[in-house]
Amino acid sequence: MMNQTVVNVKDIHKVFGKRNENQYHALSGVTFDIKAGEFVGIMGPSGAGKTTLLNVISTLDKPTDGTIEIAGTNITSMKQGQLADFRSEQLGFIFQDFNLLENLTIYENIALPLSLQGVPSRKIKPSVVEVAKKLGIETILEKYPVTVSGGQKQRAAAARALVHEPAIILADEPTGALDSKSAKSLMDAMVHLNENHDVSIMMVTHDPLSASYCERILFIHDGSLYKEIHRDGSRSEFHHQILDVLADFAE
Amino acid sequence: MLLKLSFSSMRKRFKDYLVLLFGLTISIAIFYMFETLAQNKTFIEANSMISSIVFVFHVGTFILGAITVFYIFYATSFMLTLRQKEMGMYMTLGAKKHKITQLMFFETFFIGLISLVVGLVIGFGLAKGIAELFMWQLDFNGEGFQSFYLSSIITTVIFYIILFLLTSIVNAWKISRKSVLSLLHAEQKQDFVKTKGSRTFFGVLLAVILIGVGYYAMVNIARFMQLGLILAAVTIIIGTYLVFIAFLPYFVKRLKQNRTLNEKGINSFTLGQLRFRMLNLTKVLGTVAMLVALGLGAMTAGISFYHNIEKQASTFHANDVVIHQPSKEDTEALAEMNVTEKNVYHYKVDGDGVYFLKKDLLVNPPLIKHSDETFELPETTRVEESLPEDNYMLYGENDANRLPELWSTAIRTEMNASYQLFGAKDIYVYGTSEYQNIVSDEQQVILATVDDFKNYLPQLEIINQNQLELAETYRDDDVENAGNTKYSNYIAFKAIASGTIFMGFFLGVAFLMMMASVLMFKLLSSAASDIHRYSMLRKIGVRKSLLVKSIYRELFLLFLFPALVGLVHVIVGMQMFSFIIIEPYLKIWIPISIFIVIYGIYYWITVQMYKRIVLPKEV
Repeated sequence: MMNQTVVNVKDIHKVFGKRNENQYHALSGVTFDIKAGEFVGIMGPSGAGKTTLLNVISTLDKPTDGTIEIAGTNITSMKQGQLADFRSEQLGFIFQDFNLLENLTIYENIALPLSLQGVPSRKIKPSVVEVAKKLGIETILEKYPVTVSGGQKQRAAAARALVHEPAIILADEPTGALDSKSAKSLMDAMVHLNENHDVSIMMVTHDPLSASYCERILFIHDGSLYKEIHRDGSRSEFHHQILDVLADFAE
Repeated sequence: MLLKLSFSSMRKRFKDYLVLLFGLTISIAIFYMFETLAQNKTFIEANSMISSIVFVFHVGTFILGAITVFYIFYATSFMLTLRQKEMGMYMTLGAKKHKITQLMFFETFFIGLISLVVGLVIGFGLAKGIAELFMWQLDFNGEGFQSFYLSSIITTVIFYIILFLLTSIVNAWKISRKSVLSLLHAEQKQDFVKTKGSRTFFGVLLAVILIGVGYYAMVNIARFMQLGLILAAVTIIIGTYLVFIAFLPYFVKRLKQNRTLNEKGINSFTLGQLRFRMLNLTKVLGTVAMLVALGLGAMTAGISFYHNIEKQASTFHANDVVIHQPSKEDTEALAEMNVTEKNVYHYKVDGDGVYFLKKDLLVNPPLIKHSDETFELPETTRVEESLPEDNYMLYGENDANRLPELWSTAIRTEMNASYQLFGAKDIYVYGTSEYQNIVSDEQQVILATVDDFKNYLPQLEIINQNQLELAETYRDDDVENAGNTKYSNYIAFKAIASGTIFMGFFLGVAFLMMMASVLMFKLLSSAASDIHRYSMLRKIGVRKSLLVKSIYRELFLLFLFPALVGLVHVIVGMQMFSFIIIEPYLKIWIPISIFIVIYGIYYWITVQMYKRIVLPKEV
């Protein structure tokens, strides 16, 4: 299980702007793997290409060159409709600004991916309740997003990302809009999911503290892989390690 | 300085303002159009079959005014949402609050004034264009109708200036109450719906009672007269808005509670959208429902009058055609018609009288319209009375030889043996021997029924013309009316009904157009806030086709509710006309189809525009 590759990114390039115009290389030859059950962080300064990388992996954007395989499927050659289906089956998203639909209850938000896959109503409820329990939000299921806290919203978003058991969860600055206490609690929950339920996670973040919860971190700089570090010791050691790499960027 | 800034930013958001201007302009144009008719007393009185038509138009002005007030407040509050973020920005940069308040006041009023001028011009053009189109279509000269009507202009200007002053004050007041932060973050705020059980219940109950009272007043309009009309207008407007305020959100909530329905595909999102939109939309949907009711009602009434002309014309005539002494031209005209029954009767005319041959009458008894003592409409029957005496006289003085009632009807009405045709002659029915003794040429009269009366108007016109000439030979006079025939009645009714139809269509089109602009606002003011929802759905992997389906469904329901309510209003409301129209529901499918086509086109355009705004661009 641990050796199976979930994400395989091979030499991808992303160029913005047409030929003969001012071209901008957001990604130039990025290659890496994510194994099943891994918790990988992506870091780098603003403009390094983090978001572009996340967009192409999440099939929202297409790379100019190179291939991306997720759960054994090459997504670079798929059509729009297939991509949508692929996203709804294989990917789970957590965004910085939660992106919950505020006209649906928390329950309905979490249930949405299942409804979209045509799961019958009677099977939806147990799944939603189960995932809500994992994230400790089972008491707020009938509330609307506007009435709950930011931390709870992000847990609800995590639950929605998880409910259909995707191959991987893609998180884009999940702690960006949270206070430190909520951020810590969310990261604990993600580690718990990763360790106890074998959920693979790829997280883009700015925040060294959040990143220190990962097992492995890829640093990107000017569209290329700059450095890769693994966590061997404690989380606080890893935190310092990350800060050191970030300090390198400053120079 | 601020004024300059505000103008430059208004220029930048010209597209948004264009929509606002369009909405206001249409409203003003429609109001003006309505007033050109409503205030032109001489025209509407001369061209209507309803005696209290002027009063009806007063009630119409009231209803339109009430809707307009709702609409203008809605439209100008849309303007507030356009501007508030920028106003917040000015304030963070140090603009004083009273300056901002002033600015908001002047901007709203300024937009109002521009749309007033443009609206009047467009209203004038529309009134002229539509009036000419319908007059031409209906073959109706519409004497006295003026598309440029001064007193209507004055009314429109006063009404809207007051309205814009009020809305400007309201907008200024609203912005003065808000904090800088709430202005800056206005766009991120979400509305939140609560439906309280008890309030919903009373709301629905009140709506049902009010609409019930209104319907009762309309159905029994003959009893309540003008009071009933006022009562119906007030109760139905309030009731309709209540339906949309109380009942619909509750209904959608119940729909959502059905788990199997709600958790199927994208339904939960579609219904969630609907439910959350209801609160903002209650007033708009109520307004649309009322406009549908008014527009469709006006058209239905107009068309109903039109199709009842023939019914009305045939109230007293069973035969469609009557030809005395047919010429070759008459026979040819008759040959062009699809005749379903034809009878020929012989008679002679001398200096004193007209003598019908009894044998002919008895062999082929004619059809007549007969009503017994009740007040029911006359029914078509065949004359079956016997004629035992030798001779009869139409207005005979003694009972013995006075022509029996049904035969009298047949000869006077169906055969048109009248003063208008024959002049001052007595009318007789003679037995064969006495008939042969009269020294005069034998003449004949043809009675016929045809398959579709209205198909043969040109031929009937020819026949009518020849009958006029015939009447002139008997009466030595210029004759304008050769007696009552179905054709002559038809022409007379049509002349009067054209005015009513004209008004019905004129107003129907006006109201339906106003409805279109109301819906456009709905679309534009809510679509922008939906963009992020649709982009999020796309991110989590909803196929575009499913999103499109959701949009079609959501808007379909939004279109459906007011149309249904409006339609029911119209169907019940047509009862009001039952005392002047024989069959108010005759061919009601025509206006309803016209409406469905127009409405369907609006729906389709709305969906397309909405799609363009909210759907994310695919890579």
